[in-house]
Amino acid sequence: MFNRHFKLLMISGLLLYGIITIFPFLWMIITSFKPVGDTFKLPPTLIPSLLLTDQPFLNYELVFQERNFLRYFINSCIVATLAALGQLFTCSLAGFAFARIKFPGKNLIYGVLIATMFVPTEVTIIPEFFMMRYFGWLDTLLPLIVPSMLVGAFGTLMMTEYFKSVPRELEEAAFIDGARTVHIIFHIFLPAARPALASLFVVAFIHNWDELLRPVLYITNDDWKTLPQALMNFVSQYEAEWTLLLTGSFISTLPLLLVYLAAQKHVVQGFVHSGIKG
Amino acid sequence: MLDREYRRVAYFLILPALTGLVLFRLYPIIASFFISFTDWNVFGGGDWIGLENYVEIFSSKEGRLVLMNTALFTVIYVPGIFIIGLALALALNSGFRWSAGMRALYFLPYITSTVAVTLTWRWIFSTRFGLLNNLLLDLGVSDPPAWLGDPTWSLFTVVFVAVWRDSGFFMILFLAGLQTVDQQLVESARVDGANRWQVFRHVTLPLLAPTSFFVLLIAMVRSTQTFEITYALTGGGPNQSSTTLAFYIYQNAFVHFDMGYAAALAYILCIVIGGLTLVHHRLRRKWAYV
Repeated sequence: MFNRHFKLLMISGLLLYGIITIFPFLWMIITSFKPVGDTFKLPPTLIPSLLLTDQPFLNYELVFQERNFLRYFINSCIVATLAALGQLFTCSLAGFAFARIKFPGKNLIYGVLIATMFVPTEVTIIPEFFMMRYFGWLDTLLPLIVPSMLVGAFGTLMMTEYFKSVPRELEEAAFIDGARTVHIIFHIFLPAARPALASLFVVAFIHNWDELLRPVLYITNDDWKTLPQALMNFVSQYEAEWTLLLTGSFISTLPLLLVYLAAQKHVVQGFVHSGIKG
Repeated sequence: MLDREYRRVAYFLILPALTGLVLFRLYPIIASFFISFTDWNVFGGGDWIGLENYVEIFSSKEGRLVLMNTALFTVIYVPGIFIIGLALALALNSGFRWSAGMRALYFLPYITSTVAVTLTWRWIFSTRFGLLNNLLLDLGVSDPPAWLGDPTWSLFTVVFVAVWRDSGFFMILFLAGLQTVDQQLVESARVDGANRWQVFRHVTLPLLAPTSFFVLLIAMVRSTQTFEITYALTGGGPNQSSTTLAFYIYQNAFVHFDMGYAAALAYILCIVIGGLTLVHHRLRRKWAYV
């Protein structure tokens, strides 16, 4: 008896929390298929009534064409993809060096890398801002890409651990056959680390897609804005247009949703390894 | 031979990472330290004023409010995600039929766009047209609060959204930890007549201690760094009632252009995080034996 009640209670709890978890996403999707006035109907309705008309994707057309979201979407894709690819490059090269090579200063550099891992962006952002201004990078996508491309303590840590587990015989054999370091990295180590690289890529992609502080500081020209920043501007300019705002929100959520569905295992493992976002 | 070949290229390999470390981490960390002792602001300045910024933070009403908000945030957020994350993990680990699907669902908020989901919550919480208040009216609550516009509630709604977003992530960490718990120990405790609670209290929980301590550290560090949710939900208001340290740094540096003051705040954040890490380290050695 006790067991059955307990199980019932547990399942109800799981379902209830499941509803709280999914509800905002459902609400986003439903609202994106509502006509403008509908959001001020009291009490609120749950019916996506645009779907019943001949223009079901009206809000999407408006957001993409009149609110410049196509541009923001492309900018976000560029930033997240390049930053993530760059981070793979930086982290796997450094990870290889830390895992396989003894060189002077190695422990010191590795130690500093770990020690500064928990220092939040808020601490480094003021000097970084003036550095970016000095470089003349304001109102370009560069400050959104370059710092996150070159800084990846978690990624380096992860790649170092991964590369340590590759058996030494493989590279010895390749070396005797005349392979040089670059060849060894690209033909032996990187293929062996494919799962780790995939995890690292999706984590970095999601993190950079989500970044808000840097775009807010570095971008004022509308043509270079990214999705999260554009959504925030949208709120302050057209507070009342909730249908379009939530349509934009869903557009900026969709790519991450697809990445998650396509590579769920890598996403989950990547975040477990990286510990915290970033 | 191979080692010599490797040594020749070692510094080239770490060059990108080293550049990033020096340029975007070490230099800014050191520069912020010096800036925090100056009165550099929108009017210029930049004179050495010693500890004045730090004194100002702890003596001003607003500074103290923000520090209190940050502490309150941590005090609610950490137990919140700990309890929800652990409960979800335990429930899903008990061989529940749809557990894989449910796990994927709970993790969803953590990997989607924070600004997008926060704006959705902003509407759900909005006073007149929001879903929550209309639901409450239906349930007979005659005067539901203005969640985002009321200083009593604004911080709590920010914490709520943060817990909602992160609990799935901590569930995943706990699930990974539960994989290391020896099922034979659980079984034999059950055979010996221990009930569910006793098994949890005396077998599962102690074996989960390393995971729990890791979760605590990550949760405490994260709780001091909320930026996106505050920015998108309340903007820190009303009257700074939902402003926490990370957001206050942004406000001072890039809204009021008070760089010296902001840098001092940033260093307080740094010290808080360093302190938490240290306390965590001590406690872990004392209690978890790992």
